[in-house]
Amino acid sequence: MATSRSDPALAPSLRKDDAGARPFRRVLVANRGEIAVRLIRACHELGMEAVAVYSDADAAAAHVRLADRAVRLGPAAPTESYLRIDAIVQAALDTGAQAIHPGYGFLAERAAFARAVEDAGLVFVGPPSAAIDALGDKLHARRTAAAVGVAAVPGTLEPAPLDRPDQVAGIVAEAERIGFPLLVKAAAGGGGRGMRRVAAAADLPAALVSGSREAASAFGDGSVYLEREISPARHIEVQLLGDVEGRVVAIGERDCSLQRRHQKLVEEAPAPGLTVEERVHLHEMAVRVASAAGLRNAATAEFLRAPDGTFYFLEVNTRLQVEHGVTELVTGLDIVREQLLLAAGRPLSPDALDAAARAATPFGHAIEVRISAEDPGRDFAPTPGRVTRWWMPSGPGVRVDTALEAGDRVPAEYDNLIAKVMVHAGDRGAAIDRLRRALDEVEVAGIQTTLPFHRFVARDTSFRAADLSTGWVGERWDGPADHRRAVEAAQLAAGLAAMDAAVAAGGVTAAPRPATATSATTSHGAGSADGRWHRSGLEAAQDRWPR
Amino acid sequence: MAAMSTSETTRDQGADANDGRATPVEGAGRIPDPRGVRVSLVHAAAGAEIAALVLEPPQIPVAPSPRIAGRGVLGGTGPIPPATPPDPDDHRHVLVDGQPAEAELIVLDGVRAILARGGPAGTRDQVLIMPPAPPSGAAAGLVRREVVVGGWRVELEIEPAARAALRERARRGREEVGHAGPTEVHAIIPGVVVSVSVAAGDPVAAGQQLLVVEAMKMQNELRAPRDGTIERVAVAAGRTIEVGDLLLVIS
Repeated sequence: MATSRSDPALAPSLRKDDAGARPFRRVLVANRGEIAVRLIRACHELGMEAVAVYSDADAAAAHVRLADRAVRLGPAAPTESYLRIDAIVQAALDTGAQAIHPGYGFLAERAAFARAVEDAGLVFVGPPSAAIDALGDKLHARRTAAAVGVAAVPGTLEPAPLDRPDQVAGIVAEAERIGFPLLVKAAAGGGGRGMRRVAAAADLPAALVSGSREAASAFGDGSVYLEREISPARHIEVQLLGDVEGRVVAIGERDCSLQRRHQKLVEEAPAPGLTVEERVHLHEMAVRVASAAGLRNAATAEFLRAPDGTFYFLEVNTRLQVEHGVTELVTGLDIVREQLLLAAGRPLSPDALDAAARAATPFGHAIEVRISAEDPGRDFAPTPGRVTRWWMPSGPGVRVDTALEAGDRVPAEYDNLIAKVMVHAGDRGAAIDRLRRALDEVEVAGIQTTLPFHRFVARDTSFRAADLSTGWVGERWDGPADHRRAVEAAQLAAGLAAMDAAVAAGGVTAAPRPATATSATTSHGAGSADGRWHRSGLEAAQDRWPR
Repeated sequence: MAAMSTSETTRDQGADANDGRATPVEGAGRIPDPRGVRVSLVHAAAGAEIAALVLEPPQIPVAPSPRIAGRGVLGGTGPIPPATPPDPDDHRHVLVDGQPAEAELIVLDGVRAILARGGPAGTRDQVLIMPPAPPSGAAAGLVRREVVVGGWRVELEIEPAARAALRERARRGREEVGHAGPTEVHAIIPGVVVSVSVAAGDPVAAGQQLLVVEAMKMQNELRAPRDGTIERVAVAAGRTIEVGDLLLVIS
């Protein structure tokens, strides 16, 4: 299928640098949205071609436009497109791609996918399928950690038997031993899907069933287990890199404590308030678990930090994280580039080793907020739809990863993350100031986003004081109150606009408006019957600003 | 004023405005200014009642004061003292729900604007006022606009205050005759119906689960807003729904 005629790899190289630096000639990006764009950028920087795959909902999406080739997978539903292992592997073979990068979500942590890629003679950019099995399954990971002496969150190590109603009593007894409140979690889970909080034994059976059902829908595996809820807790994770020789290093940690429904909303690097010793200890635990599980490429070990400072191992994500960018900002390392080099069998690069050596003493501070298509005034309910205005911040120390532009639709079928706004500055306070400034520049219309929440975070005193926990959002954020204030201002603004429009339309001229409004509007001659407001107002604004 | 109101009746909204003037709104004890507007939220969130805002120009007659362009600052001539009495529109006085307030909208381009409140030392909000939606299905004289303030997207319905007052009275009249009619339950998020736990004829209690909608891989339970009996179920499991779709009717 692949036409090699125009293949630049076969043409005499015009590149000055060593062609050997290019790990692959062509890489298939098995994802969509901002992460697909991020991966394609890394491919292009390494002088490689990128092949995109897309569903019908994404035929004109940014990742399709940016890629060198694109292959249609099927209809919008993920099970018929981005989750189709056979179609994706076939697309790679057809286009002559040598490697497949899964990004995050979709197939990124499916061992079956990694195995299918390996079996097709292609390179999976990520840990080998065996390591995904050992670490991607949270129960496997908990057992692995226990084996190397790293304490995991107290809970069960085997899946809860759900098909046998007579065993419910056994599960409840186990739950009593762990202690309430506890969490029902999906063994194959991530992003809070299939997770249920249970406050009392009576609610446990219902939570097991609904959690299992959601897990089965999201991951195709309904296994669930029990884990004690640590509260208040901080969620801190360690970025890991590993090469084929079995060498694993930690390049820094991130604090992702600000979560809603176990979905991360704000992430920062480094984790505020940790001593260098604590960092070194944390990184060492993460490396121990990952080494034991045979990690290669990139992964992240997640920990909970209890109020007494104890770290509990939570799980390992065997993929690139959404929030990898903050670690890139404070280490100067391009993690996706490292992933691609490691996947080609290279040893850990000097840059990566350098970053690992100063993992406990990073450069400055970085914060990322995830702008999602969710309504923070309605309990973060999803708000897919068409974006009619889209303006993202820029300027010193600001990085925005997005795939969206005005006119695009945010489909209901996929993840609701639409942009990652990252800031980097010398210290945490300066980073927060920069975040506040950057978020004030954002303009989005057409759909409700989590922007009001993030603007609140950037101004909140307890966030500035690094008083973080996974319950922070529920305790601090009063969405409806903030919303009410905005509605009142919006009503006022719309009302003033309508009154001016009525005057501009010449509808009513009783009690004539003072000269400013009328002269500015009528001179445009645009007073239309439907009351549209055509006055530019710039003159009036210039007039008023000096005062 | 008299001459003005006669000329007004020739315009499309004139009839309503005229009616509003003939019969003053009860309680208010004054005639609503025909240029006043009523701004209400399109999808008011359940539980969080947000009242409509009535905005009117000040009721005192405003003398058309000659405004001198740029006050001489840009003109190159010496500063010219402002006309007396002070220009009443310098920061605009309006009536918000009958109370005098200072509020001004400075439009910067087609969409961006600044809402300045409380005079020169007051607050300034950056707002986006999106172009009005095409008038589909909406009653004549009703304009729908999307306004974004501080990242909050607000959908508003704007209509002349006089009309709104009329409509309000008509509605109250109906309610007095009235009966608590059936409650229609509409979708507040788009997605796919995963399961429906009730059928027509079932009695339901407030808070009881009615159906489950999956959107973005998250399952959202829809619960009964009040006690009653299911009159009709309009969707079945597997159906894709959009915001505003009728899901079921409780009587």
